[in-house]
Amino acid sequence: MSETIAMATKPLVSNWERLDDWFERVGDRLNPILVKETRQALKSSQFVVTFSVLLFAALAWTVVGSLSQMPQIYTTPSASRLMIGYYIVLAIPMLLVVPLAAYRSLEGEIDDGTLELLSITALSPWQIVLGKLASASLQMMLYFVALFPCMAYAYTLRGVDLPTTLLAIAILLVSGLVLTVAALFLAPLSRSRTGRIATLLLLMMLLLGSEYSIGYLEINMIAYGNPMPADQVFFFAVSTLLLSLSVSHLLLTATAAQLTPESENRSTHLRISLMVLSMVLVGIATYAMRALNGFVDIFIAVFIGVMFALAGLWILGGSLMSGESSTMTPRIRRELPQSFFARSLLTWLTPGPATGFVFASVNIMVLTGFVLYGFHEMEAASGRFRATELQALTRASILFASYLILGLAAVRLVVAVVRINNHPRVEIGAAALISVMVMAALVPYSIGLHFNDYRNYSYSRWQITNWAWTLAEAGPSGSVRWPEVTIVAIAAAIAFFSILLLMPRVVMPRRLATPERVEQERRRISTR
Amino acid sequence: MIATHTVAGLHGGDDACIELRRLHRFFGKTKAVNDISFSVARGHVHGYIGPNGAGKTTSMRILATLDLPSYGDAFVDGFSVVNDPELVRRRLGFMPDSFGTYRDVNCKEYLDFFARANGLVGRERNARLKWVLDFTGTNGMAEKPIRGLSKGMKQRLCLGRALIHDPAVLILDEPAAGLDPRARIELRKMIRELADRGKTVLISSHILTELAEMCDSVGIIEQGHLLATGSIEQIQREREQHREVTIRVLDRAEEAAKVIAERDGIGSMICDGQLLRFEFEGDIEAQADFVAWIVGQGFRVAEVSSHKKSLEDVFLQVTEGLVQ
Repeated sequence: MSETIAMATKPLVSNWERLDDWFERVGDRLNPILVKETRQALKSSQFVVTFSVLLFAALAWTVVGSLSQMPQIYTTPSASRLMIGYYIVLAIPMLLVVPLAAYRSLEGEIDDGTLELLSITALSPWQIVLGKLASASLQMMLYFVALFPCMAYAYTLRGVDLPTTLLAIAILLVSGLVLTVAALFLAPLSRSRTGRIATLLLLMMLLLGSEYSIGYLEINMIAYGNPMPADQVFFFAVSTLLLSLSVSHLLLTATAAQLTPESENRSTHLRISLMVLSMVLVGIATYAMRALNGFVDIFIAVFIGVMFALAGLWILGGSLMSGESSTMTPRIRRELPQSFFARSLLTWLTPGPATGFVFASVNIMVLTGFVLYGFHEMEAASGRFRATELQALTRASILFASYLILGLAAVRLVVAVVRINNHPRVEIGAAALISVMVMAALVPYSIGLHFNDYRNYSYSRWQITNWAWTLAEAGPSGSVRWPEVTIVAIAAAIAFFSILLLMPRVVMPRRLATPERVEQERRRISTR
Repeated sequence: MIATHTVAGLHGGDDACIELRRLHRFFGKTKAVNDISFSVARGHVHGYIGPNGAGKTTSMRILATLDLPSYGDAFVDGFSVVNDPELVRRRLGFMPDSFGTYRDVNCKEYLDFFARANGLVGRERNARLKWVLDFTGTNGMAEKPIRGLSKGMKQRLCLGRALIHDPAVLILDEPAAGLDPRARIELRKMIRELADRGKTVLISSHILTELAEMCDSVGIIEQGHLLATGSIEQIQREREQHREVTIRVLDRAEEAAKVIAERDGIGSMICDGQLLRFEFEGDIEAQADFVAWIVGQGFRVAEVSSHKKSLEDVFLQVTEGLVQ
C-alpha cells in the first residue's frame, strides 16, 4: 500500500510570493554544500568577527589615512597610501582567513564523521569539493564588496590608475582562490595526527609565504605603478589565469579523488588534468617564444620555469601513475573503451600501473621534444649559446628523460612486488621512485669509491646508472658524450617497449556489460 | 491543479532486500568479517548481535558503501555495494553509532541540507521534511541548534536524517546506545512502525531484550563469523536441547528426584525442599509426556514450570565471549 499526500498548489497571489517561489527554485539548483556552508558561515563567530574587524579596520584606516595626508590630500594625488592600507586589510581575510577556514571546514567533515554521511548521499566528491570552494568564494566576495566603497573612495584621490587598481584586485582574488584550492587539497591528504600537523604547517607556510610575496608585488605595484608594457601585462595576465585554472583543476580533481572510494576510477580525470596542465605550460612557453621575441631575458626565464615545472610535474605524476594498483574492479571494467579506435587512444587513460607508465613515458618523450625545440628557438632568438652548449643542453635533456623513464619502469616493477601481499596507498610510487633513484646513484658511486681506496676518482661508464653524476658530466666541459647518452636512451627504449609489449596481458580485461537493471535505474534517475 | 507526492514511500513484496554473499573484510591479519552470508526479506527487521569487535559495524559499513569488502559482495535491493554504490545509496539510510553534527546549524537546517544532498527539491523536499519532523517527534526542536540537543533527541534527528530520502533499507548501528528507557521504547516503536510500512531494517544492539521484541530475525556474529541466523524461535528451537524445568512435589521430593534423575534426557538435578530443578531434553510435547509420567509414578505434583530460553541465553550459549 502506498501512502501519498495530495498537495494543492495554491495560485500565487502576490509578487512577493512569486519572487519567493523563484528564489526557492534557484536555491534548489544551488550546490547543497554552498547553501549549508553559507547558513553556517553567516551564524559563525569566525565570519562575524572577521567581517566586523575588516569593516572597523577599513573605517579606521579611512579616517586615519585621510587625516594624515591633510591638507595635501586636496591638491596632490594621495590614493596610493590609502590603497596600500586597504590592500592589507583585504589581503588578510582573502589570503589567510578564508583558505584556512576552507581547510578547517573539509578537515572538520572528516574529523566529525560528517564526510561519511555526505558520501552516502547523492552528492559526488566533485560536488562536495566545489561546494566548499563556492562557499569560500562567496565569503571572499562579501569581504571584497564590503571594502569596495573604501577602494572607490581611494581611487577618487588620484595617484593609482584604473588598470593598476583592477590588476591588483584581480591578482588578490585569483591568489585567494588558488590558495583556497590548495588548502582544500591539503585537508584530506593525511588522516593521521602527525600527518595532519605536517599538512597544517605546510599550509601555514604556503599562506604566509604567499601573503608576503603577493603583498610585496601588490604594494610595489600600487606605490610605484605597473612598469610592464601592455603586451607583457597581457601575456602575464593570460598566462597566470590559464595556469591558475589548470593548477586549480588538477588540485580539485586530486582532492575529489581522495574522497572517492577506491572501487571507482580515480585516475582518468587526474591524467587528463595533468595533460591539460602540461599543455597550458607548453602553450605559455610557445607564446613567450613567439610574442616576446624582443624580450629575450623574459622568454628564457619563462622557458626555464616551464621546463622545471614540467619536470617536477611528470616526476611526481609519473611515479604516482606507475605505482597504481593493477586491480580493475568490475565497475571500472564497465567503462573500458570498447571499439578498436577508442581502445588504441583511450586505453592509456584507464587506471593501472602499465597504462600509467606508458602514458607518462609518452608525455615525457613529447615534452622532451618540445624542450629541445625550445633550446633551438632560444639559441636562434638570443644567439648567446655556443654549439657545444646547445649540444650539452640537448644531451642533458635526453639523459634526464631517459633516466626518468627507466626510473618509472623500476617503480612499476618494485610496486608490483610490494603489492603482492600489501595494499599501500598510491603515494608508494613516489617513495619507490626516490628509493630507486637514490640507490641507482649511491650504489655504483660507493662501489667505485671502494675500488679507488676511498679517494676521489673520475667519471667512467661504470657510473652510467649514477644519474646525478652522469647529468653533471653532460655539460660542455664534462666527460659524458653521445655514446653514454645513446646507451641510456636505448636502455629506456628497451624498458618502455618491454612494458608496452607485456601490456596486452594487462589491458586484456575486456569491458564488462552493465546489467540492464542498472542501466534502467540510471536512466530513471537521470530523467527525474 | 493537484500535485501528489509519495511521503512515506511504502515498499511491498517479500523478496530479499539485503543480501550478504560470502563477505570478507581483512585489516592486515585481522579478519574483521570472515565469510558472512545472510539475507533479510523486504519489510523485516533483522537484529545483528555480537560482542564488541565481532565485525557488526564493519559489515554494516560495507553495506552502507562506506567500506569495501576484501572478498565477496553485498546487495541492497539487488544492487551491488561494490559495483553500483550510487544506486545502493539511493535506497539506503544509514545511522552510524557516532553522530556527526555541524556547528551553527539547527535541526531543520540539518535535515534540509541532507534532503538537498539527496536530490530532493521544492515541495517534495518540504513535504518530506515535514513528515520526518512529525514522525521522529522533532517538530518542537526544529529551530534549536543541534549541539544543544539531548542524546535521545540527537538519535531521533539522526534517524530522521537516515529517513529523509525515503529509503527502502535502513541500517541502524547501535541506535539505542545511551538512551533512557522511555527513549528506547519510543525508538523501538518507530522502528517497528517503519517495518510495518515496508522498510527493511538491519539493526545492531547490545540490548538483546529489545531486539527480541522488535526483530523478525537475528544473526549472531562473533570474531567475524556468523554463528547463527534465522528467526529467534528458529534459533531457540535449534539451541533448545536443554529446557530448565522446575516442579513442586508435595511429598517424597527426594525420592522423586532420584526417580526423575534415572530417566533419560535429564541433567543437573537440584533438590531444594519441595522444589526440584533440572535440565530437560526435549520440546514442549515431550515435557507434557514427562509430567503425565511423573504423576503416573504416584508423586503429588503441585506446580510445573519450564523456563524458555531468552535471546540472551541463546546469545550466551552461541558465543564464547571471544574478541579479536
